[in-house]
Amino acid sequence: MTFEVEVNGRVRTVSVEAVDGAPGRARFRVRLDGAAHAIESIVTDVGLSLIYLDSGRGLDVAVTERTGGEMAVQLPHVTVDAIVDARRYRRGGSGPATASGDVRVVAPMPGRVVRVLVKAGDRVEARQGLVVVEAMKMENEITAVRAGVIKEVAVSAGQSVESGRLLVVVE
Amino acid sequence: MKVLVANRGEIAVRVIRACREMGLGAVAVYSECDRDALHVRLADAAVPIGPGPARESYLRIDAIIDAARRTGATLIHPGYGFLAENEDFAQACVDAGLTFVGPTPQAIALMGSKTAARQAAQAAGVPVVPGTESPFSDSASDDEIVATAGRIGYPLVVKAVSGGGGKGMRTVAAPGDLLAAVRTARSEAGSAFGDSAVYLERRLMRPRHIEIQLLGDHHGTVIPFVERECSIQRRHQKVVEESPSLALDAETRRRMAECAAQVARSVGYTNAGTIEFLLDEDGQFYFLEMNTRLQVEHPVTELVTGIDLVHWQLRIAQGARLDIAPERALTPICHAIECRIYAEDPDAGFLPAPGRVQALTVPGGPGIRDDRGVAAGFEIPMFYDSMISKLIAWGADRPQAIARLSRALDEYRVVGVKTTLPFFRWLVGQPEFAAGQFDTTYLDRLLADRRGIPFVTPTPTDEDDAAIAAAIATWMRSHRAAAAPAGEMRAWRRAARTEGLR
Repeated sequence: MTFEVEVNGRVRTVSVEAVDGAPGRARFRVRLDGAAHAIESIVTDVGLSLIYLDSGRGLDVAVTERTGGEMAVQLPHVTVDAIVDARRYRRGGSGPATASGDVRVVAPMPGRVVRVLVKAGDRVEARQGLVVVEAMKMENEITAVRAGVIKEVAVSAGQSVESGRLLVVVE
Repeated sequence: MKVLVANRGEIAVRVIRACREMGLGAVAVYSECDRDALHVRLADAAVPIGPGPARESYLRIDAIIDAARRTGATLIHPGYGFLAENEDFAQACVDAGLTFVGPTPQAIALMGSKTAARQAAQAAGVPVVPGTESPFSDSASDDEIVATAGRIGYPLVVKAVSGGGGKGMRTVAAPGDLLAAVRTARSEAGSAFGDSAVYLERRLMRPRHIEIQLLGDHHGTVIPFVERECSIQRRHQKVVEESPSLALDAETRRRMAECAAQVARSVGYTNAGTIEFLLDEDGQFYFLEMNTRLQVEHPVTELVTGIDLVHWQLRIAQGARLDIAPERALTPICHAIECRIYAEDPDAGFLPAPGRVQALTVPGGPGIRDDRGVAAGFEIPMFYDSMISKLIAWGADRPQAIARLSRALDEYRVVGVKTTLPFFRWLVGQPEFAAGQFDTTYLDRLLADRRGIPFVTPTPTDEDDAAIAAAIATWMRSHRAAAAPAGEMRAWRRAARTEGLR
């Protein structure tokens, strides 16, 4: 099977071919952008344990699938987001930034909106506070990732929000 | 004899373990979202006390007293947070004929008011940080607040009278920021503690936060312990604690311990408590406040003294005499460091990141203690503090403790939620941390300098690994779906063969 895997904005071609074993413990011939690797993979309580059979280098990974082929690949020291076969899933502007360049600021966690610090039409600087959301007894200021003009404020003070709920659109 | 543990998370687990070791029964209480929590599973009995929000469960005095009555528990351990420093709760226990594992309601009330505690410390001859002697009334005018602040001088700190854990606390650098800070502090304190009263205190420029653990029995004995160094704080929340402190010489340690014991004796303090001090750059220390409960960071003291504080809490509550040799409590036998690991995204300004812990690899081996309240499969609720674990390392000296801590942080894996582990791995590698050169402003300054740069960025090898792992995981998912469980092996072989022919 051949996959297109997008990692950090770069699309990689990965072919995976089973050589031996069973799903819980298997050997694969993998080609990453043409470079061949023999890899043994076993299923563990946290995810997969991989060993590159040529060098002996081993690592534990945990792969958590989100929606639309997006997954979080947790390596020993860093978590990397990957999208498998992105083109199959991507239909128009579903990403965080839409074609027009609007930034949709969403609630990073469930909570309650304590204060809304901006209104439509306000000019904001990068890292300026937009909305204060209370969760886990702490007030968290949600800030603008870049400078712009507030196009829409989608919540009001006192409102409960789910994780991922649209708060503000910055143009 | 049974002990009801009026708390949740790691501290409830910690107290239940002590009960087990002492042959006492342990009763847990739980809110609706904590049914599958570790403390419920480890207890001998568990009683539901209401819905998720703390106000409707862990803060409900009537429900907790009722749970003790129904299960025949005669002692109540409050842990920390929730009702631990609530004098009404301690009084309600007394009124119901239950033994509250902690100080008297009177001592909680007195030391729980930060302004009254300051007065008590002054009366005991212990220096305090300059500030307002009594809290502002709700009707205090803006002019009055501004005038008082002017007398104390800037920078200053607005603090909630009933505060703790950095909530309801704001630093003010200049007069222009004062009133907004007072408003926020009041609003945060009101919702967190049900008391919006605030007062002002001079902000020392580069102090260390050093605290003294105490135990007091009901026979007049108060024993102070070797200090804990808690200067590594983010927005006034302790992040790393260690013992002993590199900043104290033997003489200052002895004086600080004596001052702490003096304050405790002067108010007839019993059970476990902690007196917090600020240590100025010139070696002067000031009474900051007293915490009338077991602290989050108590394990570092347990490790460096070999004394089990929770055992003593339970023994003292039952009337036992403190017979620890004072020298033993003041003499560290090793060095210990604790990291508070939270379900927070350090690369997004430490925003809480609740979610389900899918899997967990917990470090072990020499010199490691992990006090944890979550197990794999547990959904970290949004209603409470998002602490996952307290990882504590000890060693013969500080370098060995750091080496073990660093190794254990590398071993630690939490799958499913973002955690502060990447931040700690970075922090323990900082030269100032290794040298012990920090104060309470250190971490916030360091973080501000980073301007949101991620604590760890993937290398090209990481990206390759991620691409391969994502592809193998997808491959396995599609083959697992195709293979029936019974004929898994055969179906899988067939797939392998088909692939091989491609």
